[in-house]
Amino acid sequence: MFRGACTAPLISFIFRAEVTFVGYTKKKEMIAMLLAGGQGSRLGVLTRSVAKPAVPFGGKYRIIDFPLSNCINSGIDTVGVLTQYRPLELNAYIGSGQPWDLDRIYGGVFILPPYVKDKSGEWYKGTANAIYQNMQFIEIYEPEYVLILSGDHIYKMDYGRMLKAHKEKKADCTIAVLRVPMEEASRFGVMNVEDDLRIYEFEEKPEHPKSNLASMGVYIFNWKKLKEYLIKDESDETSDKDFGKNVIPAMLKAQERMYAYEHEGYWKDVGTIESLWEANMDLLDPEVPLELYDPHWRIYSRNLTLPAQFVADHAKLQNCTVSEGCYIDGNVADSIIFPGVTVEEGARVYKSVIMPESVVKKGARVEYAIVSPESFIGEGAVVGSWDGGETEDLHRPITVLGQGAEAKAGEIIPAGTVLEERKKGGE
Amino acid sequence: MSVLGIIFSYSERENLRELTQKRTLSALPIAGKYRIIDFAISNYVNNGIYDISVITRDNYHSLMDHLGQGKEWDLVRKRGGLRVLTPYARSEGAGGGIYKGTVDALASHLSSIRRSMADLVILTDASVLYSMDYQKLIERHLETGADITAVYSRQLNGYHTVPAGLPVFKMDENERIFDLTVNTDDTIEQDVPWGLGCYVIQKTLLETVIADSVAAKRYDFKKDIIKRLAPRLKIMGCEHRNLLLEISSVSGYMKANMNFLKPEFRMEFFKTPVYTKIKDSVPTQYGQNCKVINSIISDECRIEGTVENSVISRGVRIGKNTVVKDCIIMQHTEIHDNCMLHNVIIDKDVIIRDHQQLSGHAAYPIIIEKASII
Repeated sequence: MFRGACTAPLISFIFRAEVTFVGYTKKKEMIAMLLAGGQGSRLGVLTRSVAKPAVPFGGKYRIIDFPLSNCINSGIDTVGVLTQYRPLELNAYIGSGQPWDLDRIYGGVFILPPYVKDKSGEWYKGTANAIYQNMQFIEIYEPEYVLILSGDHIYKMDYGRMLKAHKEKKADCTIAVLRVPMEEASRFGVMNVEDDLRIYEFEEKPEHPKSNLASMGVYIFNWKKLKEYLIKDESDETSDKDFGKNVIPAMLKAQERMYAYEHEGYWKDVGTIESLWEANMDLLDPEVPLELYDPHWRIYSRNLTLPAQFVADHAKLQNCTVSEGCYIDGNVADSIIFPGVTVEEGARVYKSVIMPESVVKKGARVEYAIVSPESFIGEGAVVGSWDGGETEDLHRPITVLGQGAEAKAGEIIPAGTVLEERKKGGE
Repeated sequence: MSVLGIIFSYSERENLRELTQKRTLSALPIAGKYRIIDFAISNYVNNGIYDISVITRDNYHSLMDHLGQGKEWDLVRKRGGLRVLTPYARSEGAGGGIYKGTVDALASHLSSIRRSMADLVILTDASVLYSMDYQKLIERHLETGADITAVYSRQLNGYHTVPAGLPVFKMDENERIFDLTVNTDDTIEQDVPWGLGCYVIQKTLLETVIADSVAAKRYDFKKDIIKRLAPRLKIMGCEHRNLLLEISSVSGYMKANMNFLKPEFRMEFFKTPVYTKIKDSVPTQYGQNCKVINSIISDECRIEGTVENSVISRGVRIGKNTVVKDCIIMQHTEIHDNCMLHNVIIDKDVIIRDHQQLSGHAAYPIIIEKASII
């Protein structure tokens, strides 16, 4: 439509010698669509009031900072964020997109909730349906390619290199894959490929995997092709409207050109309590290739305005990361401490993740725990108490405190307990 | 009542040795992650004043770099916002060179001051740090019907004398200022009302007195405006009773930083948010055998050694078996293993190699210049 309009003034220039200005081109080569609507029910109490992508990670970030930073660092400046589950905190967090440099005159970051079209509206029924419902948004930018991302993985990746591979292979769809240990492959969606990485088969969590190339949930599609399949999939009433279950198998069946793109480096799905805790601990392990300090590939986030951290007289810090605004006077070992946390004298935090603005009072102990923002652990309380034995590979279950939860003074909370969040407002 | 804030980013009376050779006073790092000017700007913003001019004189490169458009202070505004007023280069014939005094500085930016829609002006000096309720100050200014309100303090926070170059006010029982002396040496005793360099004045009056004063070739704000006009104008004093910090000498700078290690100073200065440039630094990592006591540590540091009673800026590396005591370490400095530092101020981007020992005195600390390698 726009293309047609573009040629009109040229013709008038030749034949009538007058020019009507119609505006600059609005085309983007590739835009990203970030699926952030999932409830993340396996994270339980951590996602009671926020969507999974808004869950804090790594000492000062939230999960969504990773895909957003990857986008801007890869030169993608137009990102649609599809939300529907508890979007308030996520919306406020993304705001204008300024922390990620995604506040643009043309493009930038857009929150895309489901909305009413013509006479009726409906929720996003699946990942493919979410994109289908936002075709109009994508069309504004007339992209050649669309990058589909999800908001629940921790990784650093240059999508530009993936796009280059996509173009070189003249692919219709490229799926980013990661080589995982063979024995773990059955936990993932596995791509079976030819020697040139062309995908001939996709198996979701196969019992006997034929390859160890796991899908990372990162796809590049030729937009025209994807649009065709989305429309087709939408009219199929038996379909789950899901990329993994429907769209990709349908494209494979039709023998479209689908290729795998191998990503090297750290990647982790943080969809469960255990994996979220592990990914945080990975930051403290020099053996694990997840290094956030990388001036060429910074992970951006919305910062709280807090003074530098203060370490007081009785503090003992060992192999841990601590952020701005913290006041540490106790023992902290092998832990991730988020901004604005207080750890008082004689308190001990071990192998734990303490999220923003929580307080650990005098003499309290927090071990193997994830403590949500604004929690309170009273004097002498024990969070994650355990008498059983532990080995390096097998540790006690993780204790989780929901947002604003309170462990009363002297309270003993056994390992593996989940403390519900304390509700604010009228819920 | 709309207010224009004017900050003098430099100080005519400072002696900060190597620290201000390559930067202006208000661009000096302080309290780990901040620059001195952050406190002045945040104080305005926290009081709802979003029309701010920063007057610079020389060496303002790093200040400009820090402030940018003022986004981090919420000062990118259609009405008001942040303006950095750089010196207006004049040819020698037209009275050339940089400002001949504070009045001259204001005079050369009069057109910018005139353009502001504000009714009142609050002038501040970046070398004195405080957290003040400007709304109360304005209320008092209006209540007393003063032409100029000058903020003073009797506190010295452990300094022995009033810092040289600051005015000492003479007031009657109603706090009306009738005279002032400028402290030129260390002879003035404690418990005298000394001026913070913070004044409230009607904008139109400021424009008039500046123009008049410049026409008569009088360039000193304290002597040529406050002292000279005291008999004719109503100049009122207003006491600031809370803690404050003054930075015009190296020992003052050292002391100000060390004061941030005390809870009462942190409470006072961080009771409202202090904004600064965001660098997206990663959290600080503490190693297996580090020991940190009574110190401010900023983000993106990696600490393997011992840090005691020190203020550490962003991105500093402290190696194994190194002891850093009573020091100020600025951004991105690397101190390698087995070093021993005591009473040292280390500027940005310095590398201290293995087995170095540096020891200064609290009153006269060693200063290591920016980007040196030792």
